[in-house]
Amino acid sequence: MNFIESFGGMALALLGAALAAALACVGSAKGTGIAGEAGAGLVSEDPSKSGKVMILQVIPGTQGLYGFVIFFLAYLKISGAGTAIDVAHGLQIVSACLPIAIGGLLSAIAQGKVAAASVNILAKKPDDWSKGMIMCIVVEFYAILCLLASFLMLNAINF
Amino acid sequence: MAIVKMKKLRLMAVRSARDELLRELLRRGCVEVSEPAELQDEAFSSLLRRENGELMAARSQQQALQNALSILGRYAPAKSALLSPKPEVAGEKLLDEETFRLALDTAESLRESSDRIRRIGAEESRLRSTIESLRPWAALDLPLECAETRSCAVTLGAMPLRADPAKAEEALTAAAEEAELFPVSADKSQRYLLLLSRKEQTNDALDALRAFGFAPLAFAGMSGTAQENIDRAESELRALAEEKTACEQAIVDRAGERDALKLACDAAETRIGLAETEDRLCGTESVVLLQGWMPAERENELKEVFERFGCAWETEDPPEEEYPEVPVQLKNNKFTNALNMVTNMYSLPAYGTVDPNPLMAPFFILFFGLMMADMGYGLIMIAAAIVAMAKMKPEGGSRVFCQLLLYGGIATFAMGALTGGFFSDIPYQIVHLLNPNSTWPGLWHLFSPETDSTMVLYGSMVLGVLHLNTGMAVSFVQKWKAGNKGDAIFEEGSLWVILVGAILFALDLLLVHSQVLHVIALAVLILGAAALLFGAGRHAKGFGKVTAAFGCIYNTATGWFGDVLSYSRIMALMLAGGVVGKVFNTVAVMPAQNSGVNVFTVLAFLIIFLLGHAMNFALNLLGCYVHDLRLQCLEFFGKFYVDGGKPFRPLRYSGNYVKAK
Repeated sequence: MNFIESFGGMALALLGAALAAALACVGSAKGTGIAGEAGAGLVSEDPSKSGKVMILQVIPGTQGLYGFVIFFLAYLKISGAGTAIDVAHGLQIVSACLPIAIGGLLSAIAQGKVAAASVNILAKKPDDWSKGMIMCIVVEFYAILCLLASFLMLNAINF
Repeated sequence: MAIVKMKKLRLMAVRSARDELLRELLRRGCVEVSEPAELQDEAFSSLLRRENGELMAARSQQQALQNALSILGRYAPAKSALLSPKPEVAGEKLLDEETFRLALDTAESLRESSDRIRRIGAEESRLRSTIESLRPWAALDLPLECAETRSCAVTLGAMPLRADPAKAEEALTAAAEEAELFPVSADKSQRYLLLLSRKEQTNDALDALRAFGFAPLAFAGMSGTAQENIDRAESELRALAEEKTACEQAIVDRAGERDALKLACDAAETRIGLAETEDRLCGTESVVLLQGWMPAERENELKEVFERFGCAWETEDPPEEEYPEVPVQLKNNKFTNALNMVTNMYSLPAYGTVDPNPLMAPFFILFFGLMMADMGYGLIMIAAAIVAMAKMKPEGGSRVFCQLLLYGGIATFAMGALTGGFFSDIPYQIVHLLNPNSTWPGLWHLFSPETDSTMVLYGSMVLGVLHLNTGMAVSFVQKWKAGNKGDAIFEEGSLWVILVGAILFALDLLLVHSQVLHVIALAVLILGAAALLFGAGRHAKGFGKVTAAFGCIYNTATGWFGDVLSYSRIMALMLAGGVVGKVFNTVAVMPAQNSGVNVFTVLAFLIIFLLGHAMNFALNLLGCYVHDLRLQCLEFFGKFYVDGGKPFRPLRYSGNYVKAK
């Protein structure tokens, strides 16, 4: 019990930061992976579209970035506080990190699927590919909301 | 600033003047020819017959030219200068037969070269696979056509490497005593063998060897040894390669005609338009009948043309029941024109309704600025728009895009100045890096999304209420003008009464705290709600009144709640862009903070700063545009917009590659 009280807070806080970065990055890796697979198929037919395919592929990559942003802010908070983080504050940081961790993970995968479908638009109706991009950005908004939720909560935590 | 007034045109011309007249209309570019209504009338249709344009021919010519351009693009890619304006040509040049025919010849010869290259490719791969299959037999000095001698059969075949040759030979001797296997060569998976056997024993020998995976191979139609065949194929390959280079060179030599092809492409497109128009004409032996639409403001100009060609013609304002048929063109000034991009993407307004652009423009640009809100990003957008407009001299869609970028950039800069954002917080970071003891709080700001996020959130929703009410005001005016005054009062008016009541209520709760105000606010609210309910039940009968009233409460409450909350995205995007930028800035100055300002840390700063902000900028640009679009198309348009207008497509020069004058 004593051990948890002296070290648990820090561990929990780090766990939160780790989850924010790791889960959101896993989501982005999956999302860009799905879009990349579809894109590679198109590029093998028509290499001149690789630029546009790349844009579609990187769109689901932003969740990883958002996760990293929250990781970084949490990390700054933790390193600012030193070892004096108690369990309550540790739990607060974990909770604050959860929105972008979970939201980033799932939204990136969903967005990857939309991006993969948009590769079809690019293949069949190249002039309308920007509409596919717009569909991807619609999913992006929920990742942004998760980022904000995490950010606002983190900001509200004071040691 | 509005939807252009159209007039219905009916015209008769003598047949001999037909082509000249159509060309003149093409040059003016202001008449859209529609299907003639007379053909549906039986009395007329027995007299009239349809004209025939050469639509199919024009389409296939256009296809051929487009194809030729893409062939040129493949073999002789042009390094086109980015942002160069389209060349200007005279309209007559587009219709010039001689130039067009020359371009078609060029296209044909390009097609031939490209087809030949494709056939050569197929031939090459056939030869290569022949060589591959002959390679194992190169050491064999027996002609391939030699399958037998007087008493012996010669069989070539392959056996998997894993089969034991000694055992195979044993089995062979057992089955056919005088048969013999000669190894020719081997590769990674197969042993290539020659089997000599007496003719009558050949089948036995093969049966015995089949157990070891021996498969006979045949080279039909080849004469001479394998090596001779390989040499022959290789020399053919060399000849083909030479021919291919020659064909490619022939294509490259024609690269100079690219501009002529582009011109011809537009010419073909113009011909398609002309042919489609001709298809919609009808006439008798000596007279041609044309029906269509033209902007009312160009009537005087066209009158002169029609009289010159000796036409009989009349125009009329479309009656209201024909409004769905009338094509729609929007006419806007420099400022509101930028919003055409949004309107065109959604759907044009129906004829006889309101052009949303002037109403939408201030909101769209303000919202965009609020969402981006960064002086640095704003400056980049302004610069990009100005450079593009100066260099490309864009027309149509791309011009509208540049205008939108420019106004969006100005708004972004202005809002950035209010929120103190310049590439997020880079001035603050740099000042504190150079002087860690500095107490400078950063750029001046009226409000900051990070510290005043609640205020910004409420502000966004207030803007939303304003935006939605503008839409409702338009709807109110439209209904009033159309004579549906009751609808206007009960549907929009009652909501305004409720809104006033809500504002009074909020004033009472938050600021004034007076009993009198409280009562007045409640009274106004109840009055508004009663009017709304009465309005909803007005057209229903019996019990329907009750369900209509409940439906109305539900729809109004949830609808408004959702609509207003939706504007919170303004705050969300404003904050998100700032936060992401700030984190990049923090990471970028970190090396310099830890190990002092030197060449490497400055380099690291620049790389992280540029990459990070490039990404944040691109994402924000797209995100803010899409979400602004959504607020306009879903929330705002939902309040008043009637879509479904058919775009006005007059007969005019096509301008994909050149600008015809």
